This record gives sequence, structure tokens and C-alpha cells, in this order.
Amino acid sequence: MKKLLEGSRAIAEAVKLCRPQIVAAYPITPQTHIIENLAQMVADGDLAAEFINAESEFAAASIVLGAVAGGSRAFTATASQGLLLMTEVLYNIAGMRLPVVMVCANRAVSAPINIFSDHQDSMTMRDAGWIQLYVESNQEAVDSIIQAYRIAEVCELPVMVCVDGFFLTHTFEPVEIPEQTQVDDFLPPFHFERTLNPSNPFTLGGGSEPDNYLEIRAQQQAALIDAVNVIQAIGADYAKLTGRAYELVDSYFAEQADTVLVVLGSTMGAVREVIDSLREQGQSVGVLRLRCFRPLPAQALVEYLSAAKRIIVIEKAFSAGAGGIVAAEVRAVLQQVGVLIPIDSYIGGLGGRDLKLTIIEDVFHQSSLAKSTADGVFLDLKQPGTATKQE
Amino acid sequence: MDKRDPYRHNVLTSGHRACSGCGEAMAARMVTDLIGANAIYVNATGCLQVFTTHNQQSSWQAPWIHSVFANAAAVASGVEAALRARGDDTPVIVQAGDGGTFDIGLQCLSGMIERGHDILFVCYDNEAYMNTGVQRSSSTPHAVRTTTSPPGRLSEGKHHLKKDVLSIIAAHHMPYAATATVAFFHDLKAKVEKAMTIKGPRFLQILSPCPLGWDHDASLSVSVSRLAVETGLFPLVELENGEVTSVMRLKQQRPVQDYLKLQGRFKHLFNSTSTAETATGNANGAAEIRHLQALADARIRRYELLQAETEWDTVRASQVQRHGRGGYRNTGQEAAS
Amino acid sequence: MNGLVIEPGSTLAYHTGDWRTQRPVYRDKWPPCGQTCPASEDIQAWLAYASDQKWEDAWRKLTERNPLPAVMGRICYHPCELGCNRKQMDSAVNIHGVERYLGDMALQKGWRHKPITDTQKTQQVAIIGAGPAGLSCAYQLARRGYPVTIFDNQDVAGGTLYSGIPEYRLPKSILAQEINAILELGIQLRLNSNVGTEISMDALRNDYDAIFVAIGAQQARVMTGLDNSSHSVMAGVDFLRAINTGKSIQLPNKVAIIGGGNTAIDAARCARRLGAEVTVICPQEPHGTQPGHPGAEIPASLEEVLQAEAEGVRLVYRAGIKRLVRSGEHLSGLEIARVDRLHNLQGDFKPVLFEGTEEFLPAGFAIFAIGQEVNWKGLEAVIEKPANNITVGGDAAGKPRFAATAVGSGFQGAMITIASLTGTPPVYEQHEKAEITVKQLHLPYYPAVIRNESAILERWKDNVELVTGFNEEVTLNEAQRCLSCGVCFQCDNCWHFCPDAAVIKNDTGYEIDYDYCKGCGICAQECPSGHINMEIVTT
Repeated sequence: MKKLLEGSRAIAEAVKLCRPQIVAAYPITPQTHIIENLAQMVADGDLAAEFINAESEFAAASIVLGAVAGGSRAFTATASQGLLLMTEVLYNIAGMRLPVVMVCANRAVSAPINIFSDHQDSMTMRDAGWIQLYVESNQEAVDSIIQAYRIAEVCELPVMVCVDGFFLTHTFEPVEIPEQTQVDDFLPPFHFERTLNPSNPFTLGGGSEPDNYLEIRAQQQAALIDAVNVIQAIGADYAKLTGRAYELVDSYFAEQADTVLVVLGSTMGAVREVIDSLREQGQSVGVLRLRCFRPLPAQALVEYLSAAKRIIVIEKAFSAGAGGIVAAEVRAVLQQVGVLIPIDSYIGGLGGRDLKLTIIEDVFHQSSLAKSTADGVFLDLKQPGTATKQE
Repeated sequence: MDKRDPYRHNVLTSGHRACSGCGEAMAARMVTDLIGANAIYVNATGCLQVFTTHNQQSSWQAPWIHSVFANAAAVASGVEAALRARGDDTPVIVQAGDGGTFDIGLQCLSGMIERGHDILFVCYDNEAYMNTGVQRSSSTPHAVRTTTSPPGRLSEGKHHLKKDVLSIIAAHHMPYAATATVAFFHDLKAKVEKAMTIKGPRFLQILSPCPLGWDHDASLSVSVSRLAVETGLFPLVELENGEVTSVMRLKQQRPVQDYLKLQGRFKHLFNSTSTAETATGNANGAAEIRHLQALADARIRRYELLQAETEWDTVRASQVQRHGRGGYRNTGQEAAS
Repeated sequence: MNGLVIEPGSTLAYHTGDWRTQRPVYRDKWPPCGQTCPASEDIQAWLAYASDQKWEDAWRKLTERNPLPAVMGRICYHPCELGCNRKQMDSAVNIHGVERYLGDMALQKGWRHKPITDTQKTQQVAIIGAGPAGLSCAYQLARRGYPVTIFDNQDVAGGTLYSGIPEYRLPKSILAQEINAILELGIQLRLNSNVGTEISMDALRNDYDAIFVAIGAQQARVMTGLDNSSHSVMAGVDFLRAINTGKSIQLPNKVAIIGGGNTAIDAARCARRLGAEVTVICPQEPHGTQPGHPGAEIPASLEEVLQAEAEGVRLVYRAGIKRLVRSGEHLSGLEIARVDRLHNLQGDFKPVLFEGTEEFLPAGFAIFAIGQEVNWKGLEAVIEKPANNITVGGDAAGKPRFAATAVGSGFQGAMITIASLTGTPPVYEQHEKAEITVKQLHLPYYPAVIRNESAILERWKDNVELVTGFNEEVTLNEAQRCLSCGVCFQCDNCWHFCPDAAVIKNDTGYEIDYDYCKGCGICAQECPSGHINMEIVTT
């Protein structure tokens, strides 16, 4: 049965269905509604978990680290500065191969301080060793969180579900919340092989040397690469249960189009409208959304993009001093298999700037940036000197 | 697993790479053997973590986890909550150095205490960042030489005072907070055992001499820690819910020089050439020694270390007995006492 | 999962012992009590047993060297306690009190001495003298399987222990019981047998394979230059023998004793018990006035002097006798003078008196207790024709000392005798000096416990034993005051303090696991008793 819920509430409902025993968090906009909902569920006795008010995001991440090592399923959520403050611990969780699940309510990073949505926060964590799923809708957020626990626990890898702040977290949409019995069938009770236990007293997080660090890192990389198959298999399993299927990537006419747009997250909704409109005008266009950004689904990218004549990437983050992050990775994947399609890299929507339909549509009308030195072009950029003026 | 010694667990066993005469290894061995192997140990980054887990070998014989430098108290909070969620009452112990307690770990420690986690936090206080090569911490005493508080033409060592972390901890409605040191094993034992009977957050600050950083002979680690107490520089006290409930009386107060002279980290005060006016207004080594004496006197006054009405004094607490006084529990064998 | 968990205790594969430049070694050292004990008792060892209430083990350890603990616990002047390191901390362990308790307990419980060997030897040994040296020698030989016969010219065994020690210090019954326990090892005792007169030395040499001569020093030394007519004058040793053998002696009101040794004090106290006013003329200084000058103070033991004074004996220090003043035959007093120095120009002990300091001390009887000599009459051959199989021991072998010296001499005599019989060198430990001084001890580790003293009865006129023994509780408390100098008493310090878990505790003590010991030296530094040595690693 579909319910009209605020995104944050839907996310909290999904978390609750996964029966986490420990929820630890620190408030930050736009994540707060998620943890407020969870705190209320715990307070009302609807969620049999301990809600731990951490004194910082750094602590929140550390608490869920400890909770999982202590043998309990755990959840945390954050955004922006909070995610950056977690950085050290997030790398550590991944390095220790702990199945933590968190939601990042995507938000711009400071300075200047800005509470609105883009992907700069989670993109900084792309090398931390976490699986990253970027969702388009609140329905997908719900479904991805439930899958994330199973993925994490099968792969012994942490999973970050990236949900656009405000656009999703604060938006009311009708959402199908699975039944508890369905989720219980799908997600087995928490079991972590390396739970700290006096009857099997091993050491976790001990020192390594040049002689063995590299091997441990290589294992981590292999586990992440292998996770591609797990994510797909679990996605298929989930489809059997709910009828809602999720792939590593989400294509809308991408495999049939000459020009393919590549995006992440909730932008996909607007892009679908643009694609519909352009295709009605007879243009051969499509869009490919990277649902799974880490591990990078290279095989899927090759499958969906090799036939295109032009690729346009619009992303809400950038590598300062270089350019589009997703664009660079797509370019690298295709070049590796000998496909040399022009790829135009655009950066937009930073700090919550609305990526209007006209702006997206306009990108298709622009001539290709290929063979020019222009790369990572900022969309909707006001003239210098006008950006700070009140209109 | 090491079962060499029928009289103790060796929770922290041999083959670790602490320096010869390491006071922290000694203190950690005492604490962990007193608590036993039926506990989960969470370690901050630092000497203890480095010298006990090296090259994918571990000296620990109880479940043990290390995450990062600052977060031991938070990781332990998670472990403790997880155990509680599963109905498991295995004790959770945090071990950290003074850096992981006074400085980088203070916030997580404060959070852990404020939330009332049932955890014993043990700080092995060796009064500087020893693992990285002896840099000053907020625990480093006044006028100490470290690599980042070097004496020089304009300096007599560390300008600032040792942070009174115990008072900070005790101000958290803290069920139990105490200081101890290796020289007084039976005092340390009583405090660990008492801490293990109390529910909620508990804190032990254990002065742990460092032959490398304090620059004293490796054989003197126990003697030096005894002098720290006997001079009044490191009072041995217990606080329950913020109130001082017991102190170890000084049978006889020793002058601070007795303590300082054994340690190279104070050597510059005895052959000072500096004419610097320090932050605290002192002008030279002799003045700094007087200042350290005044600090010791102030601590003695504050905790009434000379007047306290207690049988537990520095002489009594030192005394040994034939066939020991018993050591560790849960060994399956009675200690031969 | 490889790399994600580490096996517990896996650093045991890493042997940090390789770092070591010095290594701790547990080594027992000979403490000063054992060194100063004239009988070379391993006092520390039997105190250790006593500390654990292993009373019989303690007694057996003690009697390895001294078969007369009930006697020695009463009458020995315990030089062991002078050596005791504990006196630097508070006061010496009351060793003799514990010794007496063990001796008395053995008599009460009927513990019997056990032979060391089951093998009976055939070579016969004769011992001349049933005093402490002769008894000690006989005891050691008998325990080692030798048939032994003791000859003594008195009608009661014990030598000076019997004839020289008053009942109030050593009840005769105690002495008799300990002697009987020794004789139970199968020793033949022939009393009233005077070797040298009734039995010739040659006859003895024919009948026995070895002879131990322990005839004591029973002949009183005579002061030269005095009118030594026997009227109203007696030697201390003879006076005591008379008292101890029950002879009746009538004394005038005032009695003077000349001498500062224990015989002098014993004589004074005996005279006091006979009702006399007694003055002791002693050439030396009082106790405690000449620290660091051995021989300058009165040689009698402090306890004896204090008890004598408590009983009303007057002591005149730093005084010597110039002449006996007689009224006809009867003694009317002594002319005494102040001592200038104790030795004459030749260095002999002969107090030199100041001219012009003379005073008259009224006395109707004078007892000279200025030393004893050996009476070799009939046994001159022992001295003149030394033989391998004849050994002289006890007071006869040198200047008279303590009874415990005689016990020690008896032990050595037994070892030398066995050596002569077996043709092998004598084997016994000689501890020339103590290996541990107070500097090697860590005194703050020891609990402060005040020394226990024996109660002294005030009913001294009854001539019953004055000093009462310890009870079990006090004995235990006193034994546990022992600092165990140089010997491990399992305090656990090394075990607690080792940063490397390289000290392993077992049921009997500790051992160093050299695979891991880094040689920091903390165990040696913090060992209370100085038992641990740090040795430089040379390889």
C-alpha cells in the first residue's frame, strides 16, 4: 500500500524494517528529519533499537563501527560537513570491512556554508572503500536501504545510500513501504563473523607493515569489484519480492540513443521529461543514471554507452582544479575498451541551484565541447559580478 | 594462546615491542590481567596499540579492537550498546594514552561519559606523545623538555601547566574516577577491582613512566612513579560522583628535586642558562623548580595528602607480603597467598 | 579472513629476548645472620619455614647445624641479631625467641632426629667431652652412620651447659631432654670416665679410628700479682659449678665479682640469689657508650646486664682490682682503681690502672671471673703429637667463646673427622662474609612490625626460669619480620612489575622466560630482598 510520506520519514521506515539495534547520529541539515523520525520510533517503542545521541558525526561513525564489531546491526545518517568530519572513521570502517549502512542526505560543503543539495559531500568519499548507491526517488531510497543491509552483510563492506537533501528528504511522495514479513524474508538476522567475543579473542584493527598492507588493500579492492555481482543478484532477489527491479545503472533510452546524458540522483526525474520532449521532437537522445557509483559499474557503462555518438555528463560535484569526476571516470572506462566517444562534462546544481528543464535541454543544443579545451563547464553560471547581487 | 603462567591470564602477553622498561606496558599488563580475558578491549592509537599489534602479530589474548586515535571512547560506546542490545554483559574497557584522553580523544570521552555508557576508560598517562617521538601533550607537566617544547635560549621547556583532566572527568556526574600508578600495585589493583564493581562510566588515570620520553634508566620506571606520588606531583585519589572519597596519604613528603633529578626531561632546569621570562613569569631553571614544588604543594593542599585521616598511606601501600598478596582473579587457580 | 583479524597472542613468535644486553638471574645469597651465627645455622631458611608455620620443617632445618635449639634459644647471646639487617630498619628479628620456640616445640611434640643415611659405618669414633662441642660432633657423626662413644669425666652430660649456666637461665630438664634426643641416635655415653688418667690416650687410639677432643676450658684463669690464698676467694667457673651441682655455699653480706664477661654476671646473679649484696668490678665501659670500638664495652650480653641490675647487682665500670684487703685470713674488701686502658704496652689484655684513684670496696668474698683455660693434664700427647685422626674442637681449640661457637666447632670437627676417615677433603660451607647488606635491600617494601620481646618474670628470687617463651602467634609474627635478605620470599614484585610478562610464576617461585626478557632490570631494582642479579650478556 502506498503512503504519502516525507522522504525522511520513508527512509526512517525503511531503516526500521531492517531492525537495526543501534542508531547513532548527530544532527545536521538536511539529515535531521531522518534521525528525528527514528528517535521517535524508538521513543514510542516501535523500533527496538538504542538511539545514541553522538556528540559529533565523528563519534556517530565511530559508534556504529563499534556496534557492528560488537555484533549488532547499526545505522547512521549525515550530510555535508558531518560526512567530512566522519572521513577518518569512514575509511577505517571500510578498511576493517565492517558492514555499516548509512544514508548521506547530500548537501553542499563549506565554504561558503550552504545547506542545500549537491553531491560534493559524498563524492569526497568515493575513494573511502564504501559502496555508494545514488537514488532517484524516495521509493528507491526505501528499497536501496533494505538492499544495502544485505549487500553490506554479504560483502562485509559498508554501504552509503546517497539521497539528495531537500529534493528527496523533505519532499512528500507516495511510497510503497514493504511489509515487515517481506523484509524479514529478504534480510536475515544480523550475523557478523568477526564479532568481538571472548570465546574467540582475535585482534581487530592491528598494525600492518609494508610487507602486508598492500595485500590487505588489494583484498579490499577485490571485494569491492566483486560487489558488482552481489548488488545485481540482490537487486534481482528484491525484484522477485517487491516487483521493483534495480540495476547498477538506470537507462532511459540510453542504449538506443546517439546522444546519451549521464547523471546521478534525483536529477533523473527532470531529465526524463527533457528526454521525452526531445524524443518527441525526433532527436535520438537518452539518459543513463549511475545508481551504483562505487564500485564503478564499468561493464554496464560499456554496454550502455559504446553505441552512442556523443555523451554528456551533468554532475553536481567536481574535482577542484580538474573537472567533472563522473565524466573523467566514464571517459576512462570507455577509452580502456577502445571506445573514443566525445564526452562533454558539465557541472551544475551546486549548492542547491535548481537544474531547470530548460538548462538541461539547452545542453543538448550546445555544440560539443569535444576537441576543445573546455571541460567541466559550469552550467547556469551568472556573469561575473552578479552572483552575489540580490535579484 | 599463551598459557605459560597458571597464575595469570597474560591478557597482554610477551613478544610485544614496547621499549625495555616501559611503564605503559607494565600498567596495561596489570590492568588487563586484573580484569581478565572475559572483556572486550578498545584501544586508541598510540604506543600501546603500536607495540602490541605489529606486523600482523598481536600480543592480546582477549578480544581487542583499534579504530583510530580520537575515537576509542565512541567505538567502545558502540560496542557496549551492541552487547547490551544482545543481552551480553561482557565488560568493555577502553585503553588510551594521554593524547587519546586529554587531547584528541577528550570529546569522545566526554560523550561516552555523558551518555552513561557502562565502560571503564583507562588512560595510561605518560605525559607526552611518545609513540611519535616525544612531543608535548596537554598532559605534559610544566617545564618538561619534549621535542616540541624544547628548552632553549628563550625557553625552559613546556610553558603551560599539565591539564587537570581528572577534574574535567569528575565534573561529568562521574560514578568513579581515580588515579593510580604502577609503583603501588595493590592500590592500582583495588581501584581496578572497585571500578569493575561499579556500573556506568568509570575512569582510571594511571601514571606510566616512559624511560624514553622521561629519559630515565629503564630499571627505574617503578621507582620514578613512586616518587611522583611521594612528592605530591601525582596525587593518588578516588572521586565518586565528583566528590573526593579517598586519597593515599603521604607518609612523608619528598622534595620535587628527588623526582626531577632522576629524569633527563627535567635536566635543563638544573643547569639552566636561559634568562627567558616564561608565560608563567619564571625566569630560569631554579625558579621553575620552585614553581614545580609549589605545584606539588598545591596538590597536596587540595587533596589534603598530608592530613587525610586514612590508614592507606604511601608506606603501607608499598608493603609486600611473603608469598605475595594475591594477584589476579579468574585464573582457575588460587594465587598462592 | 586473512589480514582482517590477527591471531591472539601471536607476538609470542617474536622473541624480544634478543634485545637484551643484561639479564636478571635469581640467586640466593648468604645473609648476615647466618654469617654471624657461630653455628653457621641457615637462619633465614628456618625463619622462612617458621613464617609459613611449617614448624617441624623449621626445626629440622635449624637442627641441621645445631641440635640444641631449646638450649641455644635460651642462652646463646645471638650474634646473629647483631648482624641482622633489619636493625637498620627498626630492630633486629628476635631470632633466639623463635629458635627457643622451635626447640621447646620439638621437645613437647617428641620430634626425633633422623639419620641422614641408612648406611651404618664401621669406623668407631671417640669423643672426649660431653659439652656442646662434643655433643654437636657426636650428633653429626651419628646422623651420618658412625658409631660414636662420648667420654666425660663428670657424672652428668652437658659440660659447661650443665655446670656453668644457672637454672634460672637454662632449666636442667631442658638441657637433659635435648641431650637425650641427641643420644637417641645411638650414641654411647660414658660418664665419670676420665681420659688421660683412668683411660689412657693410647688405649683410646687403639680402640677407635678417630678421636674428637672437646674437653672445654674448665680451669679458671688466675689473676697474677694478688694474694690468691683461697680463703674467701673463688673462681667464677668453680662457683657456678658448685651452684649448678647443688653444693651448698655460704656467702657473707657483701660479695665482689671481678670481670665483665657472662660468667661474671652469672656469678653475680647467683650470689644475689644467695642473699648477698653484689658488686661487679668491670674494666670495660657500659653497653652503648663506645659504638664502633669492639672490646671497649662490657662483653657480657646487654640482656644479662640489665637483668642483673634489675635484680640489684651493682656494676662498677672502668675499674680494676689493685689488691685484696684482708683482716687476718678474712677478706675485708678490695682496693680498686680506675682503668686507664685495657691493654698493656705489649698489647695483652691487662687493664692498666690510674695511680691515685684507689678506693676501698668492702667485700667479704671475691669471685674472679676473668677467663678460663684448657686443662691438658694427661692429654698432652694430643698437642705434642698431632695426628690426622685426632681433632680438637670447642673451647679447647681456642679461646673460649660462645656455646654456639662450640656447636659450630663440633660440626666442623665431625666433617674433619669424616674426612680423615674417608681420606677425602672436608665438605662444609664456609661463609666468610655476608653477601647482602642493607644497601641491597629495598626497605620500604617491608611492613613495619615492632620486635617482640620475651616477658621476664619478676619472681627472680625463686631461681625458676626467668625468661618466658613466645606463644605461636608471637613466634609467627616475629618470624615474619625476617627480611629474607638475599633470598626470595615470593613477594611477587618481579612478577607484577615485569613489563614483558617474562617472569613466570609457578608453584615454587618464579622463573625468567629469557625468550622475552628485555633486560630492563626493573625486577632486580624492585626486589625487596636483593635476590636478583643483573648480569651483563657477553655473547
